[in-house]
Amino acid sequence: MSLLSYLIFIPILAALLAILIPARLPNSFRVLSLTISIIQIIILILIINQYTFGSGFQLIEKIPWITLELGTWGILKAEYFVALDGLNLPMVALSVGIMLVATISSWTIDKNQKGYFILLLILNGAIIGSFCALDFLLFYVFFEFMLLPMYFLIGIWGGPKREYASIKFFLYTLLGSILILIVIVGLYLSVRTPDSNVQVVHTFNVLHMQDSDNLIPGSLLSLDSDSYLGPYSFRLWAFLLLFIGFIIKLPAVPFHTWLPDAHVEAPTPISVILAALLLKFGGYGLLRFAYPIFPDGAIHFSWLVGFIGLVSIIYGALNAMASRDLKRLIAYSSVSHMGFVLLGIASATVEGITGAVYHMFSHGIISAMLFLIAGVLYDRTHDRLIENYSGLATKMKAYTAFVLIAFFASMGLPGFAGFMGEVMIFFGAFQSQSINGLVPAWMAITATLGLLLGAAYYLWTIQRMFYGTYSVRSSLMDLTDLDRREFIMLLPLALAALIFGILPQLLLNYINPFATEFVGSWFSFEKILTP
Amino acid sequence: MDLKDQLTTISESVGHLLPEIILIASLIITLILGLILKRNKQALLHGVALATYVVSIFLVIKAWPQQPTSLFGGMLRLDDFSSFFKILFLSGGFLTLIISRQKKEDTSSEYVLLISAIVLGSCLLAMSMNFVMVLLSLELISLSSYILAGFGFDKKSSEGSLKYFLFGTAATACMIYGISLIYGLAGTLDFSSDQFLNTLIETKSPLLLVGSLLMLAGFLFKISAVPFHLWTPDVYESAPTPVVAFLSVVPKLAGIAILVKVVLAIQLFGQSGFPWQSIVAVISILSILVGNLSALAQTNPKRMLAYSSVAQSGFLLIGLAVLGMEGIHFLMFYSVAFLIMNFLVFSVLNHYESSLVADSVSSFTGIGRLSFFPAFSMLIGMIALTGLPPTAGFTAKLLIFSSLWSTYQETQSGILLALFVIGLINTVVSLFFYLKIPYFLFMKEPVVDAKPIKNSYSGNLLHGILVILLIYLFLQPGVLMGWINRITFVL
Repeated sequence: MSLLSYLIFIPILAALLAILIPARLPNSFRVLSLTISIIQIIILILIINQYTFGSGFQLIEKIPWITLELGTWGILKAEYFVALDGLNLPMVALSVGIMLVATISSWTIDKNQKGYFILLLILNGAIIGSFCALDFLLFYVFFEFMLLPMYFLIGIWGGPKREYASIKFFLYTLLGSILILIVIVGLYLSVRTPDSNVQVVHTFNVLHMQDSDNLIPGSLLSLDSDSYLGPYSFRLWAFLLLFIGFIIKLPAVPFHTWLPDAHVEAPTPISVILAALLLKFGGYGLLRFAYPIFPDGAIHFSWLVGFIGLVSIIYGALNAMASRDLKRLIAYSSVSHMGFVLLGIASATVEGITGAVYHMFSHGIISAMLFLIAGVLYDRTHDRLIENYSGLATKMKAYTAFVLIAFFASMGLPGFAGFMGEVMIFFGAFQSQSINGLVPAWMAITATLGLLLGAAYYLWTIQRMFYGTYSVRSSLMDLTDLDRREFIMLLPLALAALIFGILPQLLLNYINPFATEFVGSWFSFEKILTP
Repeated sequence: MDLKDQLTTISESVGHLLPEIILIASLIITLILGLILKRNKQALLHGVALATYVVSIFLVIKAWPQQPTSLFGGMLRLDDFSSFFKILFLSGGFLTLIISRQKKEDTSSEYVLLISAIVLGSCLLAMSMNFVMVLLSLELISLSSYILAGFGFDKKSSEGSLKYFLFGTAATACMIYGISLIYGLAGTLDFSSDQFLNTLIETKSPLLLVGSLLMLAGFLFKISAVPFHLWTPDVYESAPTPVVAFLSVVPKLAGIAILVKVVLAIQLFGQSGFPWQSIVAVISILSILVGNLSALAQTNPKRMLAYSSVAQSGFLLIGLAVLGMEGIHFLMFYSVAFLIMNFLVFSVLNHYESSLVADSVSSFTGIGRLSFFPAFSMLIGMIALTGLPPTAGFTAKLLIFSSLWSTYQETQSGILLALFVIGLINTVVSLFFYLKIPYFLFMKEPVVDAKPIKNSYSGNLLHGILVILLIYLFLQPGVLMGWINRITFVL
């Protein structure tokens, strides 16, 4: 087994182990979960140590999983295929880090710890597994496997409207994954392995799917297929389904309505995981599956991708500004930030793609911090309404410092991680019209409005909650400042937000080779399309 | 054929029917023992029946037919397709009796007798090659089911039983009328014969379509496909849970098995002038839609599962709509997964019913927090029925939809694409109601004065085995598919 498999399966095995521990020892679950996270950090360091800069996949592990005879149509072949490249390495690193922070943040969970930590460990393994999987079926299985723990984590440990929020989350996400499944079924039957001779071997291997030579001639998803369903060919439909499937997860307007509910109702650590990791599957899925497998669809719908990104940026920011609930504000700011990711992807330039991946990473750190901050306040007062607070800066000094770092980082102020991602996305988006003509310049120009709105809602929130005379509606006593545990979980995130803002090379060295190859392979594909 | 020859065929054929003969012997023994034994000593009857099923399964596997053998002058045919389904029916009977042991009142000899009779009828139905034989086996199943549905012995149960009976007889009447029309056109009742094929290929009469549709009504009634599903919720709601588990699996799979054969026969190996593929696809779409959408509104768990069973019939029919060997193979895989997951869900339901009145999903409030394992089994069963990983339910759906896409790619028939999309999107709809019971089990706080759930180790063991099977078939579907792939003789 490679290091990567250890990273995926250690938490899942720990979850099985935890079933045997009696429920009356709540501390053992916390310690177990924390130990696993620390072991994962060590494995991650080893992985990064082994990984060399450059394009292509590393730490590859490939084991046959399902091989089925399908009679006259050949053989179905699914593999346990995991590997890392410049796209998923940052995501895996982010997951491991955020899981540690979430575990520390879960210390305050006071009911049914056994169930909670078992689900958290399963979620941990499933998230890393989905980021690493390069077999579409394997990805799908891990992807679905995240939903059920998430459903219970929100539904049992969440806020007052948790039941509604959890089922809404589950239904939306499942709808997205069913759209993806539709494409998976059509796709694997249209793809064969390059070495299949006598019998056609249908494969779920994503790398084979990306190579247009492996498409079976005459199948509905082959390049030369002239079958149309309504206005579009089947390939375009397939891209569209994948696109919708993944932007439900992202989430982008108009499929974002599950997010505010899920975020507001979820317990703090789960909000953190949801915002920092689960949302990333939207962008990750587009970059890993939708774009490389259906570049023709991506070119055809680039305007739509960019436009939805733009709408999400503006609409998300406006909603954030109108939110009275702090968590809801952060949730809508996520929608707005994910719109930037979409815009970067739509531009399909090296800068845009690099920026999108960078922005996903930095948003992971910053949104985790934002939700922890909201959680700190909620733990003390059980009240999240912005208008009920003022003058917090006078009583909670350390807390205010972290809030300012998080808000400014999220605003995209230079020197913070959020800045690098956004600025590169704008480079890409502005260039796109002259380089490949995919995203018109007016979209890039309008999107800058999002930055302005972002600054507006964050500064306004700071003004309302932290300046002025101290008053808290729900509590007569003074609120205590951060305790040691809260300090420990916020500090690494704040440091990361600064380090990745000042030294972007740390991350760009990994992402850039991926983005260059991604865009390069893409244009060679375009040449095939228009000989 | 003179009398001597006929007698020789019969005596030769009898040897091939060893599993069925043992079943009949056990039926008679049960009948006699039931008269002799006292009412409270009838656990022995269960033992006899269980042993019979095990021996029969063993015999079916031991005499696995490599080549089809025609029995009783073409009335029955022993082939690998029917042998496969026979194993499923016998396992279904076995599981039903195991589940019934959980509740002590269902131990009368009549109960065991009727279950065995339905298993016998199903075995014969799967082997039938002649419409008369089909009718006889189907009636054996039906009449026994009508009585079994009334085994709650209360007003509701009688009502359910009567409804089932009235609908059932009407469906049978339709079927007989349809068969008579087909007989008139084909001149033979043996639907695997050359004469049947050759005569009907010549026939362009719409009477053939009418006759075939009327005949299919009988089978569609048995598998509770739309529009012949109306009896399902009432019967499921009122009959004892083990009986419902049994009725939702064994007669349904028997109906599916014969439906596969008959549809392949009247489709005349693709030479029929009538759009059988579209007809099956439409029934499938309707069953999935009506089943899932009606289930959304249900609060009684058994009514909900009844509509789920309607929808599952729709999914099974997809394998048939493909009208090819691959589709039928995947349909068989689906049947196995369906058997396991349905028994799992009903068995847990039955386990709960021994401690509480489960007439509404809200009666499960918070129970999952009190006793974890049965609730976990229920969750896995429900996930499997929805078709989510990591269960065999997902693999079965993946395979059956793969075959559908492949066929669509060849035929470009719009109705198949509609079936593909509607079927998959319905997974989302179905999630909503399949999660209702786990939702109440886990997410609600237990009621303060909740009675503790009795712990049953035998029940937990059974659920554990079924859960492991579901997960194993997901991880390693090749084991079962390898076996199914060798099955070649359907008609």
